[in-house]
Amino acid sequence: MSASFSESIAQGDFIDLLNRSGYSWPNPAQVPTVDKTQLTQGTTVLAFHYKDGVLVAGDRRATAGNAIMYERCDKVIPIDDYSLMAIAGVPATAFEMARVLSHNFEYYRRSQLQPLSTEGKVRALSRLLKDNMGLAIQGVGAVSPIFASFNQKTGAPVIYFYDLLGAQFEIRTHTATGSGSPVIRGVLEHEDLWGESPLAGRDENDAALLAIRLLQTAGRFDSATGQASPDDLIYPIIACITQEGYHFIPDEEVAALFRQAVRRNS
Amino acid sequence: MFEEPFRWLEAISTRHSYVQEKLRKGQPVIAVPYNEGTLMLGFSSQPGKIFELYDRIAMGGLGHPADVERLRMTLLDLAHLEGFNRSEKDVTLARLLQFGIAPALKQNFEEVVRAPYLIQLLLMEIDFDNKPTFFRVNYDGHWESFKNGAVIAGDSNLVDVVEKKIAAAGFATMPLDQALLEACRIWESAKQDIEDDDWEDPAPTLKDAFEKWTLEAAVLSTVSPRKAIYRKITDAELETLKSACLS
Repeated sequence: MSASFSESIAQGDFIDLLNRSGYSWPNPAQVPTVDKTQLTQGTTVLAFHYKDGVLVAGDRRATAGNAIMYERCDKVIPIDDYSLMAIAGVPATAFEMARVLSHNFEYYRRSQLQPLSTEGKVRALSRLLKDNMGLAIQGVGAVSPIFASFNQKTGAPVIYFYDLLGAQFEIRTHTATGSGSPVIRGVLEHEDLWGESPLAGRDENDAALLAIRLLQTAGRFDSATGQASPDDLIYPIIACITQEGYHFIPDEEVAALFRQAVRRNS
Repeated sequence: MFEEPFRWLEAISTRHSYVQEKLRKGQPVIAVPYNEGTLMLGFSSQPGKIFELYDRIAMGGLGHPADVERLRMTLLDLAHLEGFNRSEKDVTLARLLQFGIAPALKQNFEEVVRAPYLIQLLLMEIDFDNKPTFFRVNYDGHWESFKNGAVIAGDSNLVDVVEKKIAAAGFATMPLDQALLEACRIWESAKQDIEDDDWEDPAPTLKDAFEKWTLEAAVLSTVSPRKAIYRKITDAELETLKSACLS
């Protein structure tokens, strides 16, 4: 570590700083052939608007082909005080994107003395996905994230879904991604339209109960999605973003909610 | 002129005098512990006296704003690259100073054909065991660390007086509002304790300072639930402080 005093005007772009320091995404042409069954992936993550903000949740399993590699994977990652990213796809790429984003937002806020706009945050993830296009097309580094944040200027929570190449779509109600997501997208839609109340009208407790049931359901039909395992103290990861910022629901609360959520009708 | 050692020493001595004269009017920045973290405050004629550098590090500066800004950006770059390439737990002020800006500042100061940095920096850090440390960096790269608070000011006599008052005050057990008030009172009483016939202080009292300048204050809070524990003192808190100071 040694300083060289920069002559340039600060732009607040951490990715540019990384590039100037010799960091770059892998060139897909130089990536050797990979046995895709050995890549760790597989997931169900979801997000929906509820009464106080947005809820983001995910299962904990990581798989490589048919093998279960890990049952305690945290797929909902804090990016800054008001933003979370839920990841589906190859964790190596997804975790790296989350790290770059986190430093990017904080670097911008500290250097420019104002937070990056929500629109800027949304585009920043899109840019990372676009830069990763080569690996995504090869099938060895695909990431399909959900980005959720709270827009402090408008006072409204936002959810964005991205495709593998970086296109962004704002979600007004609910979204899910990962291999288990097709199982639950219909349930989310049904709950929103014909459930006891629309998703946006539910309180945090009810929203968390629904998230647990959805992830249990996804795990029932998708082998790459892990169900909760109370004996091993493995539960879904659930976080909420409100105007106060994000907070994760503590494990002991999720455990209590889980017992309530999975109780069957007699 | 630089081929002779005497001339070089003379040039360095002249540089010291030049920089010290330029910094002489710099208003103090004070950093102290309190019962839930650390506090830094200072008056400034334009916004930009106290800054967040990293998750658990804050900085205050005096001197030429362009030089303060360049060093702030250098420290920001170093801290964020280190935090990204290694971990946020590897970002420590001692390393940023010892291996980062101190050698570069010294080299810059002693290359007499280059313009010296007109700065003094005050930095504070709370480590992952919630232990605070304060650092003072001089324009020539010399830096010191302090356990119980520190100050920078253009007038070295003022620095000595404020340091003694900080040591006697027992800030570490005070709640935030009391620490803010006590720090402001030290700022005022230290100015009144020193005499400087050569220079008229534009704001010798807190009343003058509140009228002429903007008070900036920020804390690193050990009770913050966030990863980044820096928080600016709000306008409402500053108004309460101002009322308490002037009552």
